[in-house]
Order: sequence, then C-alpha cells, then structure tokens
Amino acid sequence: MNRRLLAAAVTALVLTAASACGGGGGTEGGAGKTTLRMIVNITPNLTEQFWNGLFDRYEAKHPDVTVQLELTGTIEAEAKLRQDLAAGDPPDIAQHVVPTPETAELFVDLSGEPWAAKTPLFDEYAIGGKHYVVGVGEQIQSLVFYNKKAFADAGLDATKIRNIAQFEEAMGKLKKAGLVPLQTAGQWVTGAQFSMLADAGVLTADPDWTVKRKKGGTTFAASGYKRYYELYRSWLEQGFLDKSALGLQYPDGQAAFLKGGSAMYIMGSYFVPAADEAGKSDDIGVFPVPSDGAYPPGQFGNMAQPYTVVAQSKHREAAIDLVEWLVTDEEAIKVQLAADGNLRKGFAYDVSSLGDGVQKVLDEAPTVLVKQGDRQPVQGYADELNKQIQSLFTGASADDVATKLDQWWDSQG
Amino acid sequence: MVGLAGLSADSVRVAARSPGSDRSTPGGRRRRLREAALSAGMLAPAVVVYTVMTIVPVIVALYLSLTDWNGFSSAAFVGLDNYARLFDDPDTTRAAVVTVIVAFFGSVGMLGLGLVYALQLKERNWANSFFRTLAYYPHVISSLILGFLWSAILGTNGAINNTLADLGVGPVGFLFDENLAVITLVGVIVWAGFGFNVVLFVAGLQTVPRELVEAAQIDGASRRQINRRIVIPMIAPVVTVAMVLNLVGLIKVYDIVVSLTDGGPAGATETIAYVILTRSFAGTDVGFATAQAVGLMMASAALSVVVTALRNRQDRAAAS
Repeated sequence: MNRRLLAAAVTALVLTAASACGGGGGTEGGAGKTTLRMIVNITPNLTEQFWNGLFDRYEAKHPDVTVQLELTGTIEAEAKLRQDLAAGDPPDIAQHVVPTPETAELFVDLSGEPWAAKTPLFDEYAIGGKHYVVGVGEQIQSLVFYNKKAFADAGLDATKIRNIAQFEEAMGKLKKAGLVPLQTAGQWVTGAQFSMLADAGVLTADPDWTVKRKKGGTTFAASGYKRYYELYRSWLEQGFLDKSALGLQYPDGQAAFLKGGSAMYIMGSYFVPAADEAGKSDDIGVFPVPSDGAYPPGQFGNMAQPYTVVAQSKHREAAIDLVEWLVTDEEAIKVQLAADGNLRKGFAYDVSSLGDGVQKVLDEAPTVLVKQGDRQPVQGYADELNKQIQSLFTGASADDVATKLDQWWDSQG
Repeated sequence: MVGLAGLSADSVRVAARSPGSDRSTPGGRRRRLREAALSAGMLAPAVVVYTVMTIVPVIVALYLSLTDWNGFSSAAFVGLDNYARLFDDPDTTRAAVVTVIVAFFGSVGMLGLGLVYALQLKERNWANSFFRTLAYYPHVISSLILGFLWSAILGTNGAINNTLADLGVGPVGFLFDENLAVITLVGVIVWAGFGFNVVLFVAGLQTVPRELVEAAQIDGASRRQINRRIVIPMIAPVVTVAMVLNLVGLIKVYDIVVSLTDGGPAGATETIAYVILTRSFAGTDVGFATAQAVGLMMASAALSVVVTALRNRQDRAAAS
C-alpha cells in the first residue's frame, strides 16, 4: 500500500465521520478573503481568548485575511498536525511544533526570508543548514526561584550561592529551619527540573555532549551526568527533597512553593506569570542554578512561541506574511512575550520585579543551551529521563539510572 | 390439534411445492430475487459502515505496523522489525507486566465485589434499587474525571493525606509509592467498574427459577449453600461474559491512568495503552506504536477466546 492509498483510506474514514457529524468547512472565507488555518497550543497562559485577541490585531491591519484557530484541545499540536495531514486537510501554520530531521520536509524553508534571521535562536534550530521554524522569544529554564522570607529566616544570601557545595549548605540550613528546601512534583516536573539543573553544568562544559552520545562517543555512566544522579540521590537521602512530592501534580507543586511551604523551586521563566498572577512576585527572588564549572552557567533554554509554515499550505505566501508579523511586529511581540513570561533582547515590557530578575539572569548568561537540531536528544528521552529520575525516589541508585538510560538510548534504533 | 410431528414427509414436500413458492416458476424466481435484493439493500449500509470503520482501519493498522512511518513522512517497509522490537523495548515489557496485573486483579476484584454485591441486592425492593444505582453510579462518569477525583483524594496534598497530617501521621504513598500506586490504580478501577458487573449479575439472578431455590430451602439448605450450589452455577454464563468484558476493557485501560497517576511514579503504573498513546504515537514512532496496538488487539482477542473456551469446557463437564 503506498502513501497515497493510505491517505485515501484515512481521508475516507475522516470524511465519513465528518459527514456523520454534519461537519464541513473550507479555507476560503468571504469574497476575496483568505482564511489562514493555524494550529495553536492552548495553555493556562495562552488561552483561546489570547489567540483571538492577537489575531484581531492582525486582521485589523489585513482586512483581506481571516485567521482561523485550529485548537489542539486535549492532544499535542504535533498530533493535531499529523491528524490534519493524514486527513488530507493541511493547516497553513502550526504553532508549537518544532521540526526534526525526520519531519523537516513538511515545513517551508524560511532560510531565504531576510526577516527570519533576526529572530531568536534562529541558528540554533537549524536542521541541515536550513531554517524551518521561527520564534518570538526565548524561554530560559536553569533558574532557581527562592522564597525571600525563608532565606532571610535561615540567614542565607542568595547571591552567594554559586556552586553545588554552597547550594547544599543552603539546603541544609533551610531544612534545619523546618522548610522543604527544594520543591518538586510528579508528572513531567521531576525530570524537567533535573534537566534544568544538570544540563546547565554538563552542557556548558561540553555543548556537543548530545552529538557525542548519538555517535557512541560518550555515555551517561561515564560523563558529568553521573555526578548529578548521585547528587540528586543524596539530596533525597538528606531530605532536601520531599519524597512524597511525587504524588503532586505540576500545579500542586507550584502552589506549594507559592504558599511558602518550600524554599526553592527550579523552573523555567514561564513560572513568572504564575507568580505574578498569585501576587507573590515581590516575595520571590531568582538566581541561576549552581554549577561547579563556569559561573554563571549557560541557561538551558528554548524558542518561545515557535511557528512553522506547513509546506502543503494552499496560501503559502499569506501564511509566511502572518508568521513574519507574529515574530517581527513590535506590538505583536510584546503581547506574546508578556502573555507567557518570555524574553527577547531589545524588547522590554511591563514586568514584575521577578520578571526583571529573570531578564538579568539571561543578560548575564554566557550562552543559551539549546537541545535542538544536531543537539536534539533521541525522541522520548525527556520521558525516559523523567521516569529514571523518579526511580531515584523509589530506591534506584545513581548507577541504576545511568545504566538504564544508556540501555534505553541504545535501544532506540 | 395436529403437531408438526404428525405431518408426513410427503405432505411437507407437497406444501413446499405450492403455487407461487415453486422454484421453477417465473413468479417464484422473481419473488426470490426481490427478497434477495431487499435483504442485500438492507444489509448494505451496515456492511459499508463495518467495512469502512472496522475492516479498513484494521488492515491499514496491520500494514502500518510493518513500516517505520513517523506519522508525517513517507513510510518504508521494515517487515517484522517493529514486532521484534516489542520484545526488546523495556517500556513495552514493563507496561505489559503492569497491564496483566491491572487486568487480572481488576477483573477479579470487579467480579468478586460485583457478585457479592449482587447476591445481597437480588431481591426487589426500594432499598436494593437505591444501592444498585449507587453501585452503578461511578460507571456512568468519565474515567478521566474519576481519576482526577481520586487523585484529589489520594494525592500527597489530597483529602486523606491532609486529614492524616492533621493527626500527625505522615503521608501514605497512594500515588507516590511504586507498589501502592499500582494497588491504588487497581482499587480505583474496581470501584469504578464493579457496578456494571452488579447490573449483569442482578439480571442473571432474575433468571434463576424460584422453585429451585424454594425446594432447596425446604430441604434445609442454608443461604450460603443455595448460593454456592444453585445460584452461582446457574449464572455462570453471565459471569463468563462479565469476565471477558472486564478483561478486554482492562487490557486497554488508559484514561484512568492518565488522570490518576499519569503513569508514575517512575513509570510504575504505565499500561500498554498508556505507552502507545503517550509515548509511541506522541513520539512520532507510529509504525512501532501500531505494532504495539496490533499486539494488544491480538492479546485481547486471544484472552477472550481462552476465557470463553475454558468456561465452555467447564460447562460441558458440569453437564455430563
């Protein structure tokens, strides 16, 4: 069965379902109007209302264009795109879908667009020298947010915490003061926090670590990561992390920190809007994760609001114009940055003191460590890491984690 | 009255050759053709829907499972590589074990609890109707919602652990202890699903002849003996149906895992369906995910056949 036959079969299915449900629709709006269909990811910060408000601005300036949201609902943006393509009903633009070498051909190469090269992390996301995705800003993630009152009560000065020993000493004092030193949670949070910490150390020292791992030139067991598994395990044994935190969901862990039940919280810059929303920004400070190497270490980061133009789009030029507006129009950029607590050099917007603190960390960071393009780990690594780090809570040793991660990585074709 | 047995073979043959029904007459042929066309016309929508919605997807799935398709680009035929990978992939192996545990203990729990509950509520009165409804109530709520609900009750910050904390007792790891999380998952599944078994069993119990029970009572049999020797054997076919439905339903359990534990801690509650949907498909490993799904489908079918065959054998042995 070839791909066309497959697409026909899937299309038949989808059409049957659509006709049964009375569905229908098209990409053309009123007379002379172009309707651009765009997959958007809905999050607590980026709501449907936010997207509609953003595109109202575009439509006001471009009366010949209507932007139609393709909401992801409960599925990932990438799954939604896959669904649309399989149904032979491609959208024009996809937000929150980052191309990989395997999927790059599905997107328009924006290398020739003069405006694209000026967008954040443009080069870091290149695949084989081509540029399929552009973003509005940057998210940085190797940040330690801390409860100012807890630090004051424990007699700690956050500005003096630079290396792992100082970090551990601070956690010891905070524990003695009756606080949970470091807040974590279950779901994806455990592994993500570990990455935010360990990647800053290991990848600042060796930015090509992932490339080497892919080629078999190194392993988890024989690299700097091993030390971080050991550290994490020892922190659990010393009670710096609460083992029962695995029973918390992401919002619960965040709420526990915001309520002051714990002293520190490793999280990305997108924590700032949550702190602002809770009215706690002035009570919270931020510093880069500690490192035994260069200080400050590089910030593990990624492109904020990534946009791609789908190669099968029937309105390619109009779609490229809209994406250009999204990532270059000053007003559009500020609205998007503010909504999700993202950053971009040269673009200031009204932020809380905590937002200022994060911007300062980014300004002082020697580099933003991006795990994309050639430096992208094998598919599924984040999930597997999360599981293995959680296994430290349930009794696994650092050796177990390193060995299992190596075995898993090698088994992924 | 003359019964059918009283008719001679000749009289039946004569009746079959009566005018209008004779195969050799043009009128008879036309009528049969009309009837056949009508039957085909009435069946056609169902055949089309079944083919398009069931047969075609299964064939497409079988084909996809033999490719390395990532969901986007063109697929290359890789033969049985994906099936070989099923046995090498640590995620699949671990999830298969968890699925078997959940399906077995969940099914046994739902059957046991459902049977006990149904036996207590077999008489018709308002109180029993109320308790039957109560048992069935969780079944009508989305499993996703039930999972979130129990997560809020059993989580580290949940109602139970908060109450325990007020009493100075440390948190119980319903959702953060590897073993307890699996037990919790099974417990919630049993709670959510046993009501359906109750409905089946109560319906089965209504078919048990009262005379048999009354005769046993007159003979001095205890309630326990009546249930064990008469009632339960008589509703055995219903138990078989419930068992198959439970097993097939639990072997693909996904939604309650997502909302209750999200597969954690440390992957301890990841079932096969969870791995297929959250990792393999989401990870653009569609060929492999489809092989996992085909494996799941075959396991489910095999399980149904085995359970039904065992049950039939037991019934035949009991009858002989």
